[in-house]
Amino acid sequence: MPDYDGANGLRESFRVVGTPNLPGRLSFALATGVAKFGIDYVLPDMLYAKFLHSPYAHAKILHIDCTKALALPGVVDVLTWEDEDLKALNLAPARGAPRPLFDNIADKEGDEVGAIVVAENEDICEEALRLLEVEWEVKPHIVNLLEGRREDAPVIRPEENLQPSFGGRKYSEDTPPKRGNVYSAYMTSGDIDAGFGEADHIAEYSLYNPAFSSHIPNPSGTVSWWSRDPYQGEGANLHIEGAVRSRERIASLYNMPNEKVIQEGLFMGGKYCDWGLRKSQQITPLLAQRTGRPVRCVNTREEMYDMQMNERYVYMKVGFTNDGIITAVDDFSIADNGVRGSSTFGNVGDLVQGPYNTLSCKNVRQRMEIVDSNRGMMFVSGQHCPFNWDSLTMAIYLIAEKLDIDPTEIARKNLHGPTSKDDRNPVPSFDLCIEAGKKLMGQEWHKSGTKMLPDGRMHGMSFRYQMCPRHSGAIYRCKLEYRDGVVHMPTQGPLFGVYNAECNAMVVAEELGLNYEDVSIDFDYREPFTPMGGGSDGTTASAWAMKECANKLKKMILQAAINNAENPPPASRMGAAPSKAPPGPFKGLQPEDLDMAEGRVFIKAEPDKGVPIEQASEENLFATYIGRPPLSVWSTGSMGQILDVMNTAYCEVAVDTETGEVEILRFSAVADPGLVLRPISLESQIDQVMYFSQGCQMLEDYIYDKRSGVLLNNNMIEYKKPGILDVAPVERQFLETRASNAAYGASGISHSLANTHLVIIAIHNATGVWVDPPATPAKVLKALGKI
Amino acid sequence: MYTQESTQATAATLIQAMPSVLDAFPCPICGRVFSSHPLLLRHYASEHPSAIAPVTVTLTLNGRQCEALIEPHWTLQRTLQYRFGLTGTKHMCDKGACGSCTVIMDERAVLACTTLTIECEGKSIQTIEGIAADPKWKPLVDAYCRWDAMQCGYCTPGFLVSAKALLDKNPNPTEQECREALAGNICICGTYPRHATAILEAALQMAKGEQQ
Ligand code: FES
Ligand code: FES
Repeated sequence: MPDYDGANGLRESFRVVGTPNLPGRLSFALATGVAKFGIDYVLPDMLYAKFLHSPYAHAKILHIDCTKALALPGVVDVLTWEDEDLKALNLAPARGAPRPLFDNIADKEGDEVGAIVVAENEDICEEALRLLEVEWEVKPHIVNLLEGRREDAPVIRPEENLQPSFGGRKYSEDTPPKRGNVYSAYMTSGDIDAGFGEADHIAEYSLYNPAFSSHIPNPSGTVSWWSRDPYQGEGANLHIEGAVRSRERIASLYNMPNEKVIQEGLFMGGKYCDWGLRKSQQITPLLAQRTGRPVRCVNTREEMYDMQMNERYVYMKVGFTNDGIITAVDDFSIADNGVRGSSTFGNVGDLVQGPYNTLSCKNVRQRMEIVDSNRGMMFVSGQHCPFNWDSLTMAIYLIAEKLDIDPTEIARKNLHGPTSKDDRNPVPSFDLCIEAGKKLMGQEWHKSGTKMLPDGRMHGMSFRYQMCPRHSGAIYRCKLEYRDGVVHMPTQGPLFGVYNAECNAMVVAEELGLNYEDVSIDFDYREPFTPMGGGSDGTTASAWAMKECANKLKKMILQAAINNAENPPPASRMGAAPSKAPPGPFKGLQPEDLDMAEGRVFIKAEPDKGVPIEQASEENLFATYIGRPPLSVWSTGSMGQILDVMNTAYCEVAVDTETGEVEILRFSAVADPGLVLRPISLESQIDQVMYFSQGCQMLEDYIYDKRSGVLLNNNMIEYKKPGILDVAPVERQFLETRASNAAYGASGISHSLANTHLVIIAIHNATGVWVDPPATPAKVLKALGKI
Repeated sequence: MYTQESTQATAATLIQAMPSVLDAFPCPICGRVFSSHPLLLRHYASEHPSAIAPVTVTLTLNGRQCEALIEPHWTLQRTLQYRFGLTGTKHMCDKGACGSCTVIMDERAVLACTTLTIECEGKSIQTIEGIAADPKWKPLVDAYCRWDAMQCGYCTPGFLVSAKALLDKNPNPTEQECREALAGNICICGTYPRHATAILEAALQMAKGEQQ
């Protein structure tokens, strides 16, 4: 559904949109270290706060004696969970039974629990924490899901029985009730038995996915203080730096009007769908209120190992015909329910939005067991969830292996068309991606274990496809101002690490005939417009709304230019009269007679006659627009049951079967974002997602001590993220079918290229053995039977 | 909004604002302020006898001599942030594993999170602010921004300092040499592919600038 509805949606030529290498508006501050993140704020007279962290994976605090801590010189305040001010702070939980914001139950090792100390410096905080006399009741814990689901496992939350749900989807009637630590969620469509009955072959296989850490580079750090300022109206103002973008949640926690909560910093750090407010961010304002001084509370790196993707075990059974047509899918999985309050994106969210929606096959059964655990918190979602489980990618690969047919051909046979699951023709976008992908890869598909490279290593390759999950349904409240001859785009700050405001400014410049640099992005926390909403599909959707706003402003500027010519404002009699440029030669004309390009307002019929935009009018003008583009087919068509734009990814590896070493020779991506708004943003997005995918398949894992439930590798030495020498080359090619709903037919690519098993499949293709991620040399050798 | 010129000026202002001589010595435990270090030490002896007293250090920082009152166990990263207002030296891991806190000390890239401040006396230290304030390095900053060699930008100053340390020694590096020089820097946002491009472009610009 191209952009038929919006102004100039079918625009044919672009001057600004698509331009490479336009610097981000915050980039110079970031590169020079001038940018201040929450953790960087140091204020005069500032106090420091630290939480007590649980040494146990699951425990209850029965009592804390704070006497010694309070007596330590330099300690200003010690709060326990029983403190009345703390109890008064209540937030509706994102999920689960209501519970106090801060209590005496530790759900995981390292949990912030029971007490907070405030002192003159961090060292005194540490010392005070050591002086707390804490009486713990240690409870049984679960960090191993397979053990946690057993009948004889200790039940860690017997009092909770709230079925995990997502988007109001109903589960099948045969879904069992909670048993021990295990919730269930079953969803079935079609006739699974009939589907297997039609099959000539059945493939059975399993996938394991380790948990994957959050991508927040800057330790969460909050500095908070209170002020009074008559310019901000009556009552106290709450300042908070280093919280996440939305002030609403802090405002509601403290019963404050939104406009009295101030966050001026622009830099939020990397978030990538982890929008969860940490306790440090929620409670620091209270500490500042009680002490009357600014308070800084920072999470250390060790405290930052929240999950971006939960651990999961998947057992699959797929029926298919001799032609490679999938007739039935039976997916049984065991997923982590995490600690209390964890997101259901990590488990049942995937049932609703899983990869099978793109299949013609209607016989799909998904049964998930969701196991309560003391492993960790997943705040929101990650790039891999909820769309990118490679259970289907693996099915396509196994069918290809069995029938000796190129996997892209198997995918093509099974993918439904643009209108419904009964539509047999894949969307044009898919065929174009495949054609370009084959050229990019430059080699033929081969069966597993059959291709040796000249250096003796085994060669493997893999392929996957994914629609762009267009989850953006946000309403955008846009405003553009023409002030002193300059166009301003007021935009809510702070921003995290993406360049979506820039894309919006490019669209505004395009529509108003300006240079990109001439659109001033004015970041301000009070402004309602944010270019976010969904993933990069949100960027293109906000750019669509901004396009409408720009066209409204354009009409106003043209009318103002005529008004200025016909009835110029009188010169000021106060002070030195500013020299006034003559108005444009627009007397007697209508706005339709004028246009804007190259920074000028001019007469369409006589393009030489015009004035620079800053001379067009002395009026201050502003245009607003509220809305969003028509919804994407993804969001109107049950998340992939109707398709428009597609993306494909490829991976090539070399495996040394003597050492177990895997080298990713390259990732390739052929993506159809509809239209590329800002090329370098898209390139970066693909690089990033391949880096995330490489990390979770090659290096990253959570290692727990089973006996104590302690997370053993919550540091950057033992939980290793890939470095510059590790990352594989990434080749990218973009198609621009303009088949999508947002600005000029763009869609972004959102999460679509994140993958959990693309590398793992390529390793199988090289060696003929399955290795569970992360594919360390030892695991490869073990799978090969060499150790 | 931020431009190369405005950020260069801000960095220079931050460097100018660093205290060259201390005139106040606050007690880190009780906040009482003394007019000299010996008076503060006397206060410690009487009021906080079991605590380790703060020390003064003189550092040569971005070409300026400056003085700070610190606790003996403080890292250079902490001192830069808390005493000199230089927050471009970030900390991500605090364990010497990520390179976010890279500074140049006596021409070598070192990690400020694992370097004690008291070991730095008498050494010449350059931080990202020093690089940003020096117009010579404009091409490097420009190239990083043109190539989006950053996403959230938290790790970026550390990368840029490592890149500068490389170009100091090797103004004409190969792509592989760029990658090796940045091997100690972790970018959790995964911006790696664009760093070498940016450095190579900067090296070319700087070489052209020198020829002119
Ligand atoms: S913070 Fe110093 S190396 Fe990570
Ligand atoms: S840009 Fe975010 S950590 Fe590197």
